[in-house]
Amino acid sequence: MVEVPCRRIMVVDDDVFILEVMEELFEPEGIDVVTAESGDACIAELEKGFRGVILMDIMMPRKDGWETIEEMIARGLMDGNVIAMLTAKDIPDAKLEHLKEHVIDYITKPFEADEIVTIVKGYLNYLT
Amino acid sequence: MENSAPPDRDGRTIVVIGSSTGGPRTLETIFSQFPLVDATIVIVQHMPHYINSALCRHLAKTCLMEVRIGEDGEPIEHGTIYVAPSDVHLKLVGNRTIRLFNDEKVKFVRPSIDVAMTSLERNSDDRFVGVILSGMGSDGAEGIRHIKAIGGTTLAQTLRTCAIHAMPRAAFETGRVDQMLPPEGIRERIIRIAGIL
Repeated sequence: MVEVPCRRIMVVDDDVFILEVMEELFEPEGIDVVTAESGDACIAELEKGFRGVILMDIMMPRKDGWETIEEMIARGLMDGNVIAMLTAKDIPDAKLEHLKEHVIDYITKPFEADEIVTIVKGYLNYLT
Repeated sequence: MENSAPPDRDGRTIVVIGSSTGGPRTLETIFSQFPLVDATIVIVQHMPHYINSALCRHLAKTCLMEVRIGEDGEPIEHGTIYVAPSDVHLKLVGNRTIRLFNDEKVKFVRPSIDVAMTSLERNSDDRFVGVILSGMGSDGAEGIRHIKAIGGTTLAQTLRTCAIHAMPRAAFETGRVDQMLPPEGIRERIIRIAGIL
């Protein structure tokens, strides 16, 4: 049986410019882009049934990316998703080590367009 | 000193690779077009359980080694890559048999790289290679110390090529890493030590 790769990503970032850039990068590749401007919006999309690759900004007001992941775990919303952190912060805080099993990658801003498309396409292939 | 002499007929070359956040793309670089080598390779990647099979499938795409998820009680074979399944620890019993077991997380993770690496036993027949790739935290540092102590070769990914360099840094800080290498260098070193079948 041929396995069809997942074609959906969610970009979670309070920076609307980043959300727009991601749509421009991925939609021409035939990848559906769901955008969420906050951790709460991300949770809402997951509860509506989103499954795919999640590019999660770390530094967001109210609920940051790590807190959002903790809430995903608490609500049982992890399965079927691959999470890559998208951040300007180079080194994650050591106190967040307990979340590392849930985070497949860590992509540092600024990123090269080609590089992030290649990375994300690779992870989409992990989900069928 | 690197243990580069060929093993005797009954000996094995056992490579244990520890990898975490950012590791999957490094693994894909290492194992892209990877030849069939005279070694057993065990990969401990921190990851959600539902991508275990997908990681195997991707590594197997262009790699001439057989790639599969390690199973409890399975004797290890030459020319095979075993990926540790999520949510259980993996160790090698007598350097020959995979044992999966439930136990507390070690340094927040299960499977633990340290648990897998420290299960290796010194003997005169086997050769060992320990490799630490990108990741958060310090899992693998004790494992590297152990592999060096039993006469193995120890490698870690260069910090600048890591998505997160905490794990290779922690390994390096033990003073027991033979060489820091980029993914391509790690690949070449493993091939050279193991030898192509």
